[in-house]
Amino acid sequence: MRPMPQQPYSLTRGLAGLGGALIEEPASWLRVLRFAAVALVIAASPSAWDRTMRRATAEQIHFSAWQPLPGFALVVSLLGYVLIRIVESTAHAYGLSQYALGLSTRVLLLELIPLLAALFVALRSGAAISTEVALRHIRGDFETLVRAGQDPLRHDLVPRAIGAVVAVLALAWLSSALALVIAYVALYGFSPWALDGFVRITGQVFGPVAMAGYALKTLLFGAAVASIPITAALGVPRQTEMAPIAVLRGMVRLGIALAVIEGGFLAVLYA
Amino acid sequence: MAESFPQAPRHVELKALALLALVVLLVAGFALYVLYSRGAFEETQQLYLMADNSEGVSVGADLTFSGFPVGRVQRIELAQNGQARIVIDVPQKDTRWLRSTTVFTLERGLVGSARLRAFTGNLDDPPLPDGAVRPVLRGDTTDEMPALIASLKRVLDNLDRMTGRDSDLNTSLAAMRTMAERLGGRYGALTALLGSEEEAKKVVAAIDRANTLLGSLDELSKKAGHTLDQADARVFGAGGVVDETQKAVAQLNAALADARDTLKKADAVLAEAQKTAANTSAATEDLGALRAQIEASLRKLSALIDEVNRKWPFQRDTGVNLP
Repeated sequence: MRPMPQQPYSLTRGLAGLGGALIEEPASWLRVLRFAAVALVIAASPSAWDRTMRRATAEQIHFSAWQPLPGFALVVSLLGYVLIRIVESTAHAYGLSQYALGLSTRVLLLELIPLLAALFVALRSGAAISTEVALRHIRGDFETLVRAGQDPLRHDLVPRAIGAVVAVLALAWLSSALALVIAYVALYGFSPWALDGFVRITGQVFGPVAMAGYALKTLLFGAAVASIPITAALGVPRQTEMAPIAVLRGMVRLGIALAVIEGGFLAVLYA
Repeated sequence: MAESFPQAPRHVELKALALLALVVLLVAGFALYVLYSRGAFEETQQLYLMADNSEGVSVGADLTFSGFPVGRVQRIELAQNGQARIVIDVPQKDTRWLRSTTVFTLERGLVGSARLRAFTGNLDDPPLPDGAVRPVLRGDTTDEMPALIASLKRVLDNLDRMTGRDSDLNTSLAAMRTMAERLGGRYGALTALLGSEEEAKKVVAAIDRANTLLGSLDELSKKAGHTLDQADARVFGAGGVVDETQKAVAQLNAALADARDTLKKADAVLAEAQKTAANTSAATEDLGALRAQIEASLRKLSALIDEVNRKWPFQRDTGVNLP
């Protein structure tokens, strides 16, 4: 990587950069929404699913969801077991054991696992996708594909976005189901006699509002992980040294987006 | 795309489809699980609980019986009369625990949400009908606190009055102290009961006299017993009054028999006398002899009666005993 040219700092240029960032940021978020809308339309159009797109989407799902699934499930199982044991022992110490299952289920399944899945996909696939898209954008590969008669949006970018969304949903939902089993084993062992109470309490936790919120939140997480890194990569100037800047901007914006989504849902559901 | 994945994984589309199918199956299965856990597949009957305040009760909360959930809050609404109406779904398999006499309580503790509980005293009572409306008894710790504090204040006021200088309790304690002092005095409880030692002394003296009197009565009763023994021996013992009386009666019977014979003879003699009235002179000797016999018999009878009178215990001593 070529080192960035050292320029003397000036207040005027700094203020101009800040103003440019303030102007640029809303525009970048608008580009994110536009890309998400276009990707959704393409994904929902049956005519768009030709063999190349199917193949590319399958490869992205394999890369983003299939490959990390066992490792992520193992990590979530261990983390979930430890967390549930901590909650259970603490609740037991305060004489509130009856709330241990509800508390750990809410914290782990509804809040932590979706956020962990989104962060995991963002760090593993989002950073890689952002880097690759930024480099290809800087090299002008997409224009080359257009001139060759291909549609880079349909055959390259949207499959990556679909792969990221499917990865977030699959990791979050499969790990949540696994965590539910881990929670039962951590609290009651392998005895089947606590099953009725377990089903009843989890049924109370997974109310209609909580389930709708959970589904919507994971979908929004997936959309953010799919759209923001790609949009940030496509938004950088065509300079090779700007590729890391594109990844950095994508990750920062993604972090902000995930925090806003999580905070918003917490505020709506619990405030 | 070949640039991204120069060596495409094998069966990549199949794996992607399998993963998607697994996610879809998981979503469907989880949806069924949630529906089942929330009682969507159970046959239920409705129960309406009317409460003054439904604060703390949430949709999905349990109605418990003996600690086991037998119902679930389906809806909470404001009734026309201003009360909170809690609509509860009770599964058919659990309706047997709820009877027409079941009492429902709403308890809010300091920790945790409100708890709805059912208490059934007699499980043989008629079952609770579908759509039954029942009041809820409140068991709220925090709501009861002001009333509890007010009651406690009244109790403390009463306690203050009770422990005052001129209170009844202090007067009673002083009286009890006086009584205790009297109890510990010379005549103990008697002094406490009668109020002074002089009165107690009189009672003790009276008891002493009564004891002396009882001793005399004891000796007297012993003597009376001895006398009765002697009288018993005299009356009913061998050779006693009864035996002698029996003998006298036997002798009396014999004397009466003699008298009867004599009278028969007299009757015969009188008959003879009537026959021989004309010849009185001839019969004078016979009359004289007869008279002598009658007199002899009468003397025997008189002697016998005297004997009986003598032996009878309550005889009158008609004779004059000379010194």
